[in-house]
Formats: sequence, C-alpha cells, structure tokens
Amino acid sequence: MLSRIAESLFWVGRYLERAEDTARILDVQIHQLLEDATNDEALASNALLSVMGILDADEAQLDLGHVTALLAFDTAQPSSIVSSLVGARENARGIRETISSELWECLNATYVALDQRVATARAIGPHAFFRFAKFVKERVAIAAGLADATMSRDDGWRFLVLGRSLERVDMTARLLSVRLSLPESMSDWVTTLRCCSAHEAYLRTYHGAVDAERATEFLLLDRLFPRSAYFALATAESCLVELDPDRGRLGPDDEARRILGRARAALEYRRIGELLDELPAHLAALQRSCSEATFAVAGRFFHHEPDLEWRPEVPSPPIVRSA
Amino acid sequence: MSWRIATRHVSSYRYASTVFASYNEARMTPVASHRQSVLESHVSIRPTAPPLRYVDYWATTVYAFDVHEPHDNLVVTGSSVVETAGAEVLNEDAGWELVHRPDVQDRYSELLLPTPYAPLEPALRDLAHDVGTSETPAQAVASVSAWVRSAMRYEPGTTQVSTSAVEAWRQGSGVCQDFAHLTLVLLRELGIPARYTSGYLHPRVAAAIGETVKGASHAWVEAWLGSWQPVDPTNGEPVGERHVTVARGRDYADVAPLHGLYHGGALEDLEVTVELTRVA
Amino acid sequence: MEDLFEGYTIGPWWDEMLESPSYPRKASLGLHEALRSLSAADLEERCAERDRSFRDRGITFSLSGEERPFPLDPVPRLVSADEWAVIESGVAQRVRALEMFLADVYGRGEVLKDGVVPRRLVATSRHFHRAAAGIETPNGVRIHVSGIDLVRDATGEFRVLEDNLRIPSGVSYVVENRRTMARVFPELFVSHRVRPVADYPDKLLASLKAASPRRARGEPTVVVLTPGVHNAAYFEHSFLARQMGVELVEGRDLVCRQNTLYMRTTGGEQRVDVVYRRIDDDYLDPLHFRSDSLLGSAGLLNVARAGNVTIANAVGNGVADDKLAYTYVPALIDYYLGERPILANVPTYRLEEPDQLEHVLGRIGELVLKPVDASGGYGLLIGPQASEEEIDAAAVAIRANPRSWVAQEVVQLSTVPTKVGNHLEPRHVDLRPFAINDGERVWVLPGGLTRVALPRGSLVVNSSQGGGSKDTWVLASDNPHFGGRDVDGVERTAAAALAALPPYGAGPDLGPALAANQQQQQSGPPCSAG
Repeated sequence: MLSRIAESLFWVGRYLERAEDTARILDVQIHQLLEDATNDEALASNALLSVMGILDADEAQLDLGHVTALLAFDTAQPSSIVSSLVGARENARGIRETISSELWECLNATYVALDQRVATARAIGPHAFFRFAKFVKERVAIAAGLADATMSRDDGWRFLVLGRSLERVDMTARLLSVRLSLPESMSDWVTTLRCCSAHEAYLRTYHGAVDAERATEFLLLDRLFPRSAYFALATAESCLVELDPDRGRLGPDDEARRILGRARAALEYRRIGELLDELPAHLAALQRSCSEATFAVAGRFFHHEPDLEWRPEVPSPPIVRSA
Repeated sequence: MSWRIATRHVSSYRYASTVFASYNEARMTPVASHRQSVLESHVSIRPTAPPLRYVDYWATTVYAFDVHEPHDNLVVTGSSVVETAGAEVLNEDAGWELVHRPDVQDRYSELLLPTPYAPLEPALRDLAHDVGTSETPAQAVASVSAWVRSAMRYEPGTTQVSTSAVEAWRQGSGVCQDFAHLTLVLLRELGIPARYTSGYLHPRVAAAIGETVKGASHAWVEAWLGSWQPVDPTNGEPVGERHVTVARGRDYADVAPLHGLYHGGALEDLEVTVELTRVA
Repeated sequence: MEDLFEGYTIGPWWDEMLESPSYPRKASLGLHEALRSLSAADLEERCAERDRSFRDRGITFSLSGEERPFPLDPVPRLVSADEWAVIESGVAQRVRALEMFLADVYGRGEVLKDGVVPRRLVATSRHFHRAAAGIETPNGVRIHVSGIDLVRDATGEFRVLEDNLRIPSGVSYVVENRRTMARVFPELFVSHRVRPVADYPDKLLASLKAASPRRARGEPTVVVLTPGVHNAAYFEHSFLARQMGVELVEGRDLVCRQNTLYMRTTGGEQRVDVVYRRIDDDYLDPLHFRSDSLLGSAGLLNVARAGNVTIANAVGNGVADDKLAYTYVPALIDYYLGERPILANVPTYRLEEPDQLEHVLGRIGELVLKPVDASGGYGLLIGPQASEEEIDAAAVAIRANPRSWVAQEVVQLSTVPTKVGNHLEPRHVDLRPFAINDGERVWVLPGGLTRVALPRGSLVVNSSQGGGSKDTWVLASDNPHFGGRDVDGVERTAAAALAALPPYGAGPDLGPALAANQQQQQSGPPCSAG
C-alpha cells in the first residue's frame, strides 16, 4: 500500500484514540473535582496539563474552564480533542478512497457537527463537560465500530490499529503519571480506572475494593483488558508481525518491533513490586518507547522524498567565442 | 574542403552538499545534416546512469537520465567525431516574394514569433527595416549580421546566460549567444524565418591534424532563404568546416546543453571545457 | 393544492419539458404529471433528504477554498432515446476526428502541410507541448476521456459549445446525482426507463488497462494521480480511484527511476503502468514543464517516451481543445473522416482574420467573447449583458491580442423546469456528455452532467460561477436490451433469486421474558462501560 496512505491511517488511529482518551481523562477529572469541593482545582489542573504535555500554561488562571478550553477546544493545541478530531478527519480526507465510505462519512459528520457541539459546551461551562465527552466517546466508538465492520483486514487496517494501540499505551502511561503527580489525598484510583473505562472490568476481575497496587497492575499488565498497556503493546506488536512477517531464523529485523517487544517484556516479566517501586521511570520508559517506535515505523514504512524542493540545474555559463 | 573533427564537451557540476536525486537532459550530440555527417557520438554520465536517447521536436539528439545515487559531483561528457563541409555562399536566388509567401510564413511561423530571449522591441522594429531593406533576403541577412557586429562589442562577462537580446543590445555588449539572439530579433522582424544554432567552433583556421586545442561552445543563426542558410554574426566569417552544429531551436532555451533539476545542496562550482581535435 | 408550475413562462428559447405552459413534450408527459401531483411541501421534504444525503457523504466541491455541497436540482432533465442517438454518434465522431488530429500534430503534421489548419494555430497554442512530440501512445489513444459540452439552440438542435480533451471533470457528480435521485424520487424510476450511469468507472478502468504499455507484465497497475486534497475536484479523483479499485496517488508518492515509474509503498517501490492523471500538463513533470511544480513527478514524460508508462489523457491534448481549434473541428471531421459533422458548432468568429475581426468589433454587444485558452467560464463577456465600459475594454483587448479571443453568436440555451424557492421556473442548461475511448470504440456515457444557470436569465452554467446541476436521464429505447435492468444496472430477477434463499438464522432468544429478567437484575455488573 502507498506509504502516504499507511501514514495517514496510522494517524487516523492515533488521533481518534487521543481524542477519546483526552475526553475520558477530562471528563472523569472534572467530575471528581466537582464532586469533592476539598480538592485543589489549581493543583489538579496543573497535573492534567503537564501530563498532556502543556507546560507553559498561565499558573494564575488555572481553573477547570481554562483547562477544558486548552485540552478540549483549543485548535492551537495540537493535541486538544478538537485538533485530534480535525486531524483524524484531515488524514482520512486524503485517503477517502482507501477507508470505507462509512468510516469517512462518520469522521466527516463528526467534523461537521463539531462547531455546534463546541459552542454549546463552551456556553454551558465545564460542569456539563460530560455531554461533550459523551459525544466524543460515542463518535469515536462509532468510527471504531465502522472500521471494524467495514475495513478489510489488510495492511491499511493494521496501520490503523497500530496507530491506535501506540496512542493507547502512551495515554495510559500519561494517565498513570498524572495520578502519581497528585498528592495521596487526591489520588482516587476509582477515578483513574474510570478514565480507562476499566473500573467495571477491574471489579469483575478482582471482585473487590480498588487499591493502588492492583489498579496499577490492572492498567499496566492485564492480559485481557484491551486498554491495558500490555494488551495495547501486544496488539501493536502483532500488527507489526503481520505487516512484515519474519523471513529468517534470527527474529525480527524491524526496529519498531524490537522496541515494542522490549517494552512489553519489561512489563511482562517484572514483579509488580518492582514495577511499583520505580513506577515513574517505567512510565517514562513506556512513553519513550512509543515515540521511538513511531519514529521507527515511519522510517521503515513511510518513505518520503528527501527534500520536496527541486532546484534547477544551473545552465552552462554564457558561451565564449574562441580567440 | 571538408574537415573531420573530434569534439569533447565536459560539464562538471560540484555541489555544496550531497545531491540525492537528479533529472537531466543533455543536448550535446552533433546533428546530421547535408553539411555535416556524424561518424561517432557518445554521451557519458558520472555517476553512471543509463540514459534514454531520443530525438526532440527540433531534431536534436537528447540523452535523458536520472541519478539517484547520492553524489557531490555530476560530470556529463559529450564526445563525437563529425565531418564538416566547407562554407557556402548565401543563396541569392530567393526573393522576398518567396520568403514572404503566406504558406512559407505559416510553415515557419514559430521561427518568426518573438521568444523570451528574442522578444518584440519597438525600437528594434524600425532599426530592422533601416538595416535590412535590401534587394534580396540574402543581402538583408548579410547586412543585419554586419550591423549586429557593429552595434555590439564582444565582451565575455557582461551578460548572463539569461540575458535577452534587447538587454544585451541596450548595453552594447555580450557574447555569441547575445549576438545570435539580436540577429534573430531583426531577421524575424523582416519576416525572414530564423533559428538559433548552437555548436562548437574550431579556433584555428590552419589547424594541425591530431592537435587538440581548447575550443568553446559557440552559437550562430540560420535563416530560411529558400533553404536554411547559416550566418555567424559574432565572427562575421562564413559558416564552414570549422563549425560543428549540435542543436537548433527558437532560442537558447531550446538548445541548452544541460537542463535539469535536483534535490540537494546549492551548486558550488560549474566547469565547462570543450576540446576540439582536427583528425582529418 | 398549488401547482408547482404556477406562473411558468416560456421565452424565445427551447423549453425541454414544455412546448407551451400547458403542453408537455411527449417524452416528458410522465415526469410532468408526476411533478404536478407534488406539493411544494413534498418537494421541500425531498430536497431536505437530498441535502442530507450529499452532506453526509461529503460530496462537495471547493469554491474559492470553501467546501460546498454540490447543488443538485431535484427536477431531472430528460433526453429521449432518439435525441440521445444523435448526441452519441456526434460525440463519438468528434472524438475520432480529434484523436486523428492530435496524432497528426504530434506526429507527421500532414494536416498542417495540407493547409487545413494553419501551423501558426498550433505553434501559438499555449497548450502545444513540443516536449510531447514523438511520444507514441501504446494503443494510439490520446483522448481516453473527453467531455464535449453541448447546448441546445432555440430550434431544439444540439450544438457543440466546446471540447474538453485534457482533464474534463464532473463525471462523479453524474454518478452521485443519480444515486441521490434514486433515493429522493424512487417512484419516478419505476415509471421511467432510465439508462444506468453507474458502470462508468468499469468502462474507464477497462480503457486505461487497454492503454497500458506493451511492456507491462501481467495485470497492468493503474493509478489515479491527484494534485491532492485541496484540489477543487478531489472528491472526483477519490471517487474514481475507489470505484475502480486503484490507488489514488499524489506526486510525492511517485518516483521515476531509470525511465520507469514507481509508487512508494510500505512494501517498497512498486511499478506503475498507467497514470490517469488529474493534473494539468504544466504541473505534471517539473523537468519539462513548470520546474516549481511539486504536484507531478520529475521525469514522467520521458518514462512515457521510453514506452514504460501511459499518461492518460496524453500530454498536449490542449492544442486541440482551445476555442480557436474548435472552429476547425468541422473541417477536421471532413478531412480525416470524410464525413459531415453530426453535431454542428455554434457560429464562431476567428479574430485573427481581419474581416472577421472588423465584423466582430462592430457587434460586440450582440456576441459572446471568450478567451481561447481559459475554461470554467472565466473571462467570458456576454455582449447583451455587458456595460458600455466592458464592451469598450473588450474591443481594446481583442485588438491588442486577437489570437487570444474568439467571438460567438449568442445561443439562447434551452431551459428545463428548475426549483426556485417553492415552485418551478425555467432555467438555462447545457450538457456535458462524457466519452471514453478504449482504442476499439468511443463509448459515450448515457447521461452526462447537465449544468444549470441558477440566476434568472443567466447563461453561465459553470459550477465555479454559481451554477447548479441536474440528473440527466437518457431514456431507454424500446430495445429489449435495456428492459430488464433497473437504475443501478442490477437485473430485476435478483429479487426473485433472493426470495429463494433459506430464512435468516436467529441468535439466542432475547424475547420479552429474558428482557424482563434482565431489568430485575439490578445488582449485577452494569451492561455498558464508562
């Protein structure tokens, strides 16, 4: 398949996942702050922004309205929900003939409805952000469902899932990081699990109360829950295997697979105690692996012109008459 | 009298940083005509690239090639052996009625129209008619050529490869390319079909056989006087056995020896050499 | 109930549905009756359905950088089988003559030597590409796809307004308009036997494969080359690629290497045999044309010259479709085919000829002035609607550069009832049938893009100038060949075949009892996540 199209599909996957995960994180955090007035709004806002990679926010006006504006609606923020949905649609627009009409129409209809939804959400204010979050989650779920139901399981599909999985690993790591950056008193693991839609699955799995260790374990290591870092890493890896099956007996010669395989093994074979002891370092390593893997995937599959500018060859100098 | 001349035309490009892709067309192969036979010709490219050889709209042989191997230098060498004929006198038989006949004017219409290098210029229009009003088109060609030589000082470095005839005329100096373009403007103004001709000129009238001399690219003009007749406005000498014809067209743009595009660093240095050897 | 035709007037032109306000033409009897039975509210409701359908499918075109839904009028335009037979043979005849002309101009130039067309016309054409001289096409086809614009004069005769031999666009709207109309007015398709248009992409793909270089091994690889998402016709490029099941590539996906064309894929470089390009010649190959172009692929023209790729349509076709070349087409039909033109031109004046120039200068106010190498209705001057100043300015412009203009007699374009507000009014239309040449025969899509000038009295139909479109219904003749097919070209017997299938399998019973059971079960895990 065309490199450019593969790259677009990869980013459709990433952007959709990013939009959804950002919506989930914001939704649950806002909900938590509104429920419990003793929480420090500025502190929580700051943690949220830093985990989402926005570092230069104005400390003076750190409130939920501001955070929502930045993370959800700000088109100047490349990772805001709106930017992600626009990015997904823009990438899909260039590859309309590859994805199914249904998926394109879904992404386009989402884009068309976006202005109105944003205007309404802004007008009502952050306390009703859940409505916007629900809209985003539903649209992304529909897109995922349509992709699942209408796309052939070819390389295009694999790039889409690869992008989605890498983003999911990254976002799960970010979410756990925000948890770690808040004081113990505000560290509500139920909220964290709900961010990942993992609360119910957790309850079914552990049949009991939520505690930090098991919640972290669940989000990082659960073999069956699709939003755990382990599951997403393994999915990404299997996409890579299918994209470029092993030819020899020496194992993968694909850099991205090596990176992801190492990251997965680092989770898989560590004792949970070890993981927890050095959690910030492990989370940082996970995020780094995602970014390195993206780079490696681009290098292997997304071939570009070295430089898009052409220079005219300088013609011969003015002709000289012989003596 | 005819000569046999071996030519070697080398263009070396050196780039400031590595070039990753390059697409070019070389027009360095002498053309076969009634006054010139081509015995051998070859274009080589370094880094090596298998070229596509074709004959373009103007009957010029073109070597088209692309280089994808990263490189800092590109060297294109055109070599040939040609047999050239002696000078002819201009055909005096053709009258104005023939040259101006509607079917002739239509047949050569693209060689009568202004071009970027030989544009329309009102001041030259009057001048053309002052200089070129003669009994026959052949006389007009001779007087235009003589006038160009009197109006222009030969001075390398005063014009660029992109200079137009009018710019060169305004400053009163230039090289053979400018002399030829100015001649084209005037002849076309008189309704005489005229084409730009590029090639090489052997510098020695009495060349020793086997001696290799530093030559140069050269340009002159051909006018249609019942048939195509060459005239060299730069030298004022008849076009004869020392002239090797490579390409013809409306102006320089149609015959540029190397034309191309590349990705990569700026051009740092371009060296062009022409070596000519009379071999018989 | 108020009649949608209330107040419908017929001027000094041909109205395609009505002979007089109360008498429909024979072919339109059924359609007229159906429309009369509709209320304004019904029509509005159906238009809302149409708009939803277009918007959700993202069927748009860009106007000055803004994406708009393609405006489709709900009233179809009917072409009878007899009328179509004339159009079909006339268009095919024209394409055959123009093919021979192009082969001649880029080859031996006999037509120029014989003085049928002045060489000057060719030499001064902005679209005559000397770089394309000597490039032979594998099956001799240069005009793989053409759009021959027709208008209908006051006597009802179809005339050719212009030829589009480079990259005629609009066919995706023909197919999509039909899809939409089938949803909006399903009952009309039952009462009319409309010839299908949905097989256009198949025909196009077949002709592109037929044009593949002989050196191509196995099944040829065809691609559609688009300038990219921001191009006004991107929707169409994507539509065609998807319908043909081929890659939609941009210039940056392609690379020419040693006179072979490749596309960059995740599995490395893959060879390309046929490029259906939707990029102008000027941008196609920066080596030969605009060196600042990033849209095309450097070296492409020489790959074609080497016989390793087919560019469709061929480079340099514009020399045959400018508005001055147009004036010679009847002569070309005679010269190459020894036939009389089946479709006449609109009377046109060549301003390079002094007597014609003088004639035109005296009558600018009565004529239409067109720049010879513009398209899309840009630069047009309609004399009867122009101000004194515009006419004076035009006189100066054509005197300064007569080669750049032609003048045409005004044709009172035919009208078709068109929805304006909540009723129907006559609006002027033209027709662009699309022809595909596969080297064996010229096939004309039974249908075509009908463009409507939406402002009252306007004769400018280009979508870039605020025009709309109509679905064009070519009615089947009594030829039984078309009898058994519905609009999508599906055999009617398919329904019968379905009826014979075994019943659907069913999942576990989730009937009322189980549902009630679930509702009582409040303590279990929730059924939905997050």
